[in-house]
Amino acid sequence: MCPVTLPNEYDQGLTNRKAIYKKYPQAIPGSFAIQKTDPAPCRLACPAHLNVQGYVQMVAQGKYEQALGIIMENLPLPGVLGRICPRPCEEACRRCEVDDPVAVRDLKRLAADQLDPREIPIHCDPKRVEKVAVIGSGPAGLAVAYHLARKGILSTIFEALPEPGGMLRVGIPDYRLPREILDREIEVITRLGVEIRTNTALGRDVTIDGLLKEEYQAVYLAMGAHQGMDLGIPGEDAQGVCQGVDFLREVNLKGSVKVGKRIAVIGGGNVAIDVSRSALRLGAEAVMIFYRRTRAEMPAWAEEIEAAETEGVRITYLSAPREVLMEDGQVKGLRCMRMELGEPDASGRRRPVPVPGSEYDIEIDQLITAIGQRPDLFALEGINGLHFSGWGTIEVDPMTWETGRKGVFAGGDLQTGPGVAIEAIAAGREAAESIVRYLDGREMVKGRNVPDKKSEYRPVPQDQPPQSRAHMPTIPAEARIRDFSEVEAGYDPETGQREANRCLNCGYCCECYQCVTACKAGAVTLETHAQRPETLTIKTGAVILAPGFQPFDPAGHTAYAYGRHPNVVTGMEFERFLSASGPTQGRLVRPSDGKPPAKIAWIQCVGSRDVHACDHGYCSSVCCMYAIKEAIIAKEHAGSDLECALFYMDMRTHGKDFEHYYNQARDVHGVRFIRSRVPAIDWTKGEHTLVLPYVDESNQIVREPFDMVVLSVGMEAVTADLAGKFDLALTEGKFAETPTFSPVSSSREGVYVCGAFSGPKDIPQSVIDAGSAAAEAGALLSEARNSMTTEKQVPREHNVSGERPRIGVFVCHCGINIGGVVDVPEVRDYAASLPYVEYVADNMYTCSQDTQETITKAIQENRLNRVVVAACTPKTHEPLFQETLVEAGLNKYLFEMTNIRNQDSWVHKDHRVLATQKAEDLVRMAVAKVALMEPLEDFPLEINQRALIIGGGIAGMTAAKSLAQQGYGVCLMERGPALGGQARNLYRTWKGEDIQKNLHTLISTVEANPRIDIRLNTEICDAEGFVGNFRTTLNSGDGGRETIEHGVTLVATGAGESTPDEYLYGKDPRVLTHTQLDQRFLARDPALKQVQSAVFIQCVGSREPGRPYCSRVCCTHSIESALHLKEINPDMQVFILYRDIRTYGEREYLYRQARMAGILFIPFSVEQKPQVSATEDGLKISVMDRLLGEEVVITADLLSLASAIVPPGDETLSKFFKLPVNENGFFVEAHAKLGPSEFATDGVFLCGMAHYPKPIDESVAQALAASSRAVTLLSRESILMSGMVAHVNPSLCSGCGVCVEVCPYSAPSMMSEGPFAHTAEINPVLCKGCGLCTASCRSGAINLKGFGEDQIMAMIEQS
Amino acid sequence: MTGIDVSKADPYFVGEIMNQPGGDKIRACFSCRTCTASCPIAAINHTFNPARIIRMALYGLKQDLLKSDFIWFCSSCYACQERCPQGVSITEIMTLLKNMAIQAGYLPAGIKSQMDIIKGEGRIYPIDDFDNKKRGKAGLPPLPTSCEWVKELFQ
Repeated sequence: MCPVTLPNEYDQGLTNRKAIYKKYPQAIPGSFAIQKTDPAPCRLACPAHLNVQGYVQMVAQGKYEQALGIIMENLPLPGVLGRICPRPCEEACRRCEVDDPVAVRDLKRLAADQLDPREIPIHCDPKRVEKVAVIGSGPAGLAVAYHLARKGILSTIFEALPEPGGMLRVGIPDYRLPREILDREIEVITRLGVEIRTNTALGRDVTIDGLLKEEYQAVYLAMGAHQGMDLGIPGEDAQGVCQGVDFLREVNLKGSVKVGKRIAVIGGGNVAIDVSRSALRLGAEAVMIFYRRTRAEMPAWAEEIEAAETEGVRITYLSAPREVLMEDGQVKGLRCMRMELGEPDASGRRRPVPVPGSEYDIEIDQLITAIGQRPDLFALEGINGLHFSGWGTIEVDPMTWETGRKGVFAGGDLQTGPGVAIEAIAAGREAAESIVRYLDGREMVKGRNVPDKKSEYRPVPQDQPPQSRAHMPTIPAEARIRDFSEVEAGYDPETGQREANRCLNCGYCCECYQCVTACKAGAVTLETHAQRPETLTIKTGAVILAPGFQPFDPAGHTAYAYGRHPNVVTGMEFERFLSASGPTQGRLVRPSDGKPPAKIAWIQCVGSRDVHACDHGYCSSVCCMYAIKEAIIAKEHAGSDLECALFYMDMRTHGKDFEHYYNQARDVHGVRFIRSRVPAIDWTKGEHTLVLPYVDESNQIVREPFDMVVLSVGMEAVTADLAGKFDLALTEGKFAETPTFSPVSSSREGVYVCGAFSGPKDIPQSVIDAGSAAAEAGALLSEARNSMTTEKQVPREHNVSGERPRIGVFVCHCGINIGGVVDVPEVRDYAASLPYVEYVADNMYTCSQDTQETITKAIQENRLNRVVVAACTPKTHEPLFQETLVEAGLNKYLFEMTNIRNQDSWVHKDHRVLATQKAEDLVRMAVAKVALMEPLEDFPLEINQRALIIGGGIAGMTAAKSLAQQGYGVCLMERGPALGGQARNLYRTWKGEDIQKNLHTLISTVEANPRIDIRLNTEICDAEGFVGNFRTTLNSGDGGRETIEHGVTLVATGAGESTPDEYLYGKDPRVLTHTQLDQRFLARDPALKQVQSAVFIQCVGSREPGRPYCSRVCCTHSIESALHLKEINPDMQVFILYRDIRTYGEREYLYRQARMAGILFIPFSVEQKPQVSATEDGLKISVMDRLLGEEVVITADLLSLASAIVPPGDETLSKFFKLPVNENGFFVEAHAKLGPSEFATDGVFLCGMAHYPKPIDESVAQALAASSRAVTLLSRESILMSGMVAHVNPSLCSGCGVCVEVCPYSAPSMMSEGPFAHTAEINPVLCKGCGLCTASCRSGAINLKGFGEDQIMAMIEQS
Repeated sequence: MTGIDVSKADPYFVGEIMNQPGGDKIRACFSCRTCTASCPIAAINHTFNPARIIRMALYGLKQDLLKSDFIWFCSSCYACQERCPQGVSITEIMTLLKNMAIQAGYLPAGIKSQMDIIKGEGRIYPIDDFDNKKRGKAGLPPLPTSCEWVKELFQ
C-alpha cells in the first residue's frame, strides 16, 4: 500500500523498498518500521499545512479519492485551489535542486477533476447545539464553516452579495476558475449542514449584537477586501473610469459588462491582469496595462503575464498616470509620465522615480484602476471592542484570531489586507479551532505553537536523473478571447502520474495513512505514525560501543569507473547478487544486460593500503577472504565454467583454516590469483566488457577483458561522531585506540569497544571482542549482577495426555531457498490430507518473529497439541520453535522439524517435481512421528561455581583474573614452573609496549587475587564429570594428587615455536629463531650492535605442505624486530625475505614504517626458497627476487627465522575432556564464526594459542571472551538439561553391559545394588541423546525419549 | 643484469635519491607494480619498467641504473605517480635519475644530439621556408625559423 518507494539499503540500493519496511526478512526486531524525518518542506511551506507529499503520492498511484481525502482534511475547495493557488509549496520543493519543482497545484486539480469532491466522505463529529455566524462567504468564511461543521458545530454564513464565494466568485474571472467548480465545492460545505444566506449584509440586514443575542454563540468576520483604491490623480471621477474589483465583480455577477474600445489598466497585480484579459474577452480592441516599475517587480504571476501578452494585452513598464484627460466628463485620454527605478523602498522593491519632462498622452476611452484593495469597514466602525490598524484592517490575536470583542473572531483579507486564498483558508481553519475551544470554555493557546521549520529531510539522491516538469495544456490564444471558457485544460491522468512521480519524498513517509487502513491487525495506527524519536537517559556503569564500520565508497576512485559502468560492483553489492534473497534471487548476472558473466575479476585493496587515493594506510583484514569466498560461491552458482581471477598484492589469509581455503580456491576450484595491483579499469560507454591492465609474473603487461569486476572495498571507521561524544583517543586510521593488554578498553574508563570500531577485523575476532567487552563490563558491574532482572513469565503448560493428536504443519519457503525448488503450497495442501493434521500454513520465513506470533496464535486458536515445521535444520532453529511452543502453552518436545532445505531443495535443485515429492515424504514421516510424541521434562542441574583454567600463559592468567573479578573462584594450573607462557620470551608488541613489564603486572595481579588458586608444575591425570560438575585430578610435581571440583573448564594451553630443520638452523650460531632473537633483545646483547647485515626469512615451517597454515604473528613480529635492529644500529642493512606480508589491520602502518626505515623486503616463492650457506665472511643467503626475476645474494651476520607456531601435541587433555583437535593439532571451537571461544562440549571453553596462533591482544581478548562465556553458566546456580535422553527399562535389561561399552559420554553404568542390581542405568546428565546405546541394546530395554521405537517404526512405515 | 650481489651495491644510493626533490618517499614502495601496469611506455617497450627501476634503486644498483638507456624512456605522463597507492613520486624520481646520470657523465648519444639541436635551433625540428610554405597552403600562420630566445635560455 505504501506509495513511497526508496532504495533498499540492505540490497546496497540494487532493489527498492517502501517507507514502511523491514530491513530484511530475518531482521531483529522482526517488525516493520516507518522511516520518517521532518514533514516535507512543501507541507511546511503551505500556509494551510496541506500534506502535499501525501496527496502527490496518491496521485502518483492514481488514487484520486485518497488524494482528495488527504487534501480535504485541511481544505474544502480542492478544485478551486488546484486552479488559483499561488503555490508557495512549489517554491520550497527540493526537486528544484535537481531541475524544476513538482507541479503540485496542477496535481491537486487533477485529483479534484477526476472525481466529484462532493462525493468524498467527510467525517464529522456528532452535531452540537451551538451555532456560529460567519460574515462573508469567501475562502476564510467557507473554511471556518467547514472545519466547524466537522467538529459538529453548524454555522450560518451571511453573504452581502447575491452569490456565495467572496473574491473567489467576484474577483476571479471564469476562464481561470469556472463558476461550476466553485459552486460544486461550496456545496461540499453546505452539504455538511452549513447554511448560506446571500444578499444579507452586516450592518444593513444583521448586526453583531443582534446575532450574538439571537441564536449564535460566536461570530466570525470575514468580509474580505473588496474596496478598490483610488489613483489620486485629477480627472478620476470622469465617466469611463472604474475600479478593477468593481469591474470584475460586475463581470462575474452579470456575465457581461460594457467595455470601451481602447482601455488603459493601471496596476501590476493579478487584478490588473484579470481585468485586462476579461476586457479582451468582452470585445475591447486594445487593452494596455501601465505599470510604474519593470516586469521584474510586477506582483502578478509570471504565467498570468505571459498568458495576457499571448492574448494581446500590451504592457507598458515604467510609466505612471498623471491625469485623466476628459471631454464632456467622458474619458478621452490619459497623461502618463515615464519613470525610472531609484532606491529600494520599504517593500524591498526599487522605488519608481518620475523622469522630469517625460509626460506623454495616450488616447483611451476607458480607464480601469487596479492598484490595490482594502476592506470596507463601514459595517464595523464604532462596534464595541473591535480595533483597526493603520492599513484599514481588523486587529486580532495572532494565535487565536480573537478580536477585542468576546466571541467575535476575524480573518481573511479583512484582517490581512488583500492576500491569497490559501492563507485565508488557513486562517479560517485556525479560527475554527479557536471557536471550538471558546465554545468549550477551554484554554485558547495551549498546544497551538507554530511548528518549528526544521530541515532534516531525505537527502536528494546525487544520481537523481533530471526529468522535466509536465507541461500544462491550454486552449489556443485566438480561441481563448472569444469567451470565458477555462484556459488551462488540466493534466490527463497519465501525465499527472508521471509528474507526481517526480516527487523526491523528502520526508520519506508521506503520511497518507494507507498503511493504517491496510493493517488488519490494527498494529499500524495514527498513534504509531505519531511516534517521534525520543531522548532517553539511562544510568549505566559501563558502555560498550559496537557501531561497526562502513564500507569504503569507491566512487571517488575514478580510475575504477565505479558508478559509471554498471558492471563494476563492490564486494558488498556482489554479496547481494549471490544471495537468494538478493536483487537477482541469487542468479549471477552481469548488471549491464542481465546475462550470466563468463569472467569475473576481483580487485583487492580498494580503499585499503592506499595513502594516495584515500587516507587509508591500513589493511582492512577481511577482504582477501571475502573475495576468495565470493569467487568460490560465484563458481558454485554459475558452474565451473565461470572464470574467476583475483588481483592482489599480498594474499592475507592469516585466520584459522583460511590458508587451507585459499589453497582449495586455487587448486580445487581453479580461481586464478594474480599478484599485481590493477591501476585502472578501461571501458567504453555502451560496451559490456571491461579491460584490466596488469603485470604478470614474467613482468609483461597484459590487458585482459572481464565481464564483471568486483571491487574488494575495505573498511572505514565510523568513529567520528561517537568518539567525539565519548572523548575517545583514535588511532592513525581513525579507529578507537585500545592497548594490547586490554584490547577492548577505550581511552575512557568504563567505555569498552568491540568489533571493527576498534580496527578492521573479521567475524570471529569481532565475536571474541564482543565476549571480552561483556567480560570487562561484567567485571566492573559484578556487584550489580541480578539486581535489575525480572523473571520471564511463561504460560502454564497445557496437559495433552489422553488428547487425540491435533497436528499443525508449517511449511517454509525460506525465501526462494526452498520455495524456488519445492512447490511449497502443494506440500502444504498435501500435509492437510494427513491423519491428525488439523492446521496447515506456508510461510515466507518461518523463523521470522512475526511468524512465531502466527504459530502461537494458530496453536491456541486451533487447539493444536503437536507441531511440525518443514524448513531448514533443527540444529540452528529447533530451539526457536520450541520456545514458540512454550509461549503457546505446549510442551516443547511435542514438536518435530523436518529439513526440506539442506536435505531436499538444496540437493535436488534440478528435480523440482521429485523434490516436492520428497518434501511430502519427509512431512508425512514427521507427522507420523510427532503424533506419537509424548511431553518430556527438562531437569535442573546444579552448577559448581568454580572454574579450572588449564594453562598459565597470558590467556590463562587473563581469564583467571576476569573470572575472579566477576566473583568466581578459579584454580589456575600451569604445567611449567612459572606463570607467563610464551610471553616470557617476547620483547615488545607492535604498538611498542614493553611485554615483560605488562606480563609482570598481570602475574602479580593474578598472584595477589585471593580467589585465584595457582598450581605450578601441575598436570592433569584424570578428569570426569560434565558441565557444572567436573572432577579433575591434578598431579603436582612432587607427586601429590588432588581432585578438585569445578563447574567449568577453560583450556588455555597455548602453543610453542617449532624447531626449524632448514636454513642452517642449529648448525650455525648466527641462525636464530625469532623468539631467540627476542631473547637477545631482552638480554640487551651488545653483540647485536656489531651486526652489519641481518636477514629475516618468513614462513619457516608455515604455509608448507606439512604445516599448511599461516602462523599469523610472524610478519608483524619480524618487522618489529627488524625495526628494533635498526634502532640498535641504524647503519645495519636489514632484509626481510617473505612470501606475502601479512601485517593485517593497522599493523600495516608498521610495515610502511619499516620500509621507510630502509628495511628491504624481498619476495620469494615457495618453489624457490632462499639458499643459505655459511662462509667465513658471513652467511651467504641467495634468493630469487620474484619481482625482478633476479638472483639476489646477501652476506649476513645474523639470520632470524620466522619459525612456525605449533600446538603442544599432547593428546591427554583432548581425551580427558573429549575435545576435538584439527589436523594441525589446534583445538576445534564450537563454531568458527559464532562460537570461537567455546567447545561443543558444554562447560568447556577455549582461548589463546591453543585455538590458533595469535598475537597478545587477540589472546587477551579471547581469554576475556572465554571467561564471559563461562560466566553465562557460573552466573546461574542451576541449568536445565534436555529431557531427550535414553532411559533403561530394568525389567527388560539383561545386564549385558554393551551400552556401557559403546557410550562415548560414559552415561550408562551397571547398578550394583537394589532391586535392579546388575542391570544398566543411564545418567541423564551425561547422556547426549545420541542413541548409540538404544541401537545396541539387544534386549530392547533402552528407549531414547523423543525417538521411541514406535516413532521410528512409524516413520519407516510412512517412508 | 645477471644477479644482484648486495655487498657490491651502493648502500648510499637510496639516500642520494631521497635527498633530492621528489625522491623522499621512494622507500615507501611495496612493489605492487601499479606504476608499470599504468605505464604507456612499458606497454610498448618492456625494457622500461618503473617498478623495476624503483626496486633497482632500493637495492642500490646505482651504476646499472645511471648507465642504462631505459631511464631515458620515461615520457613524464605522470600516470604512475597519479596512481601509486603509496604516494611515491615515481615520475619525479625518473627525472632525478636522469639528472644524476648526466652529472655522472652518462648521456645517451641520441639524447646528446637532441640537446645540441635544441641549443642550436631552439627546437628539435628546425623550421625552414619550405615548412612555412606548406603551412601557408594549409592556412596556418608561419612559424619563426629561428628561436633565439631559447638559445638565450641555455646560456
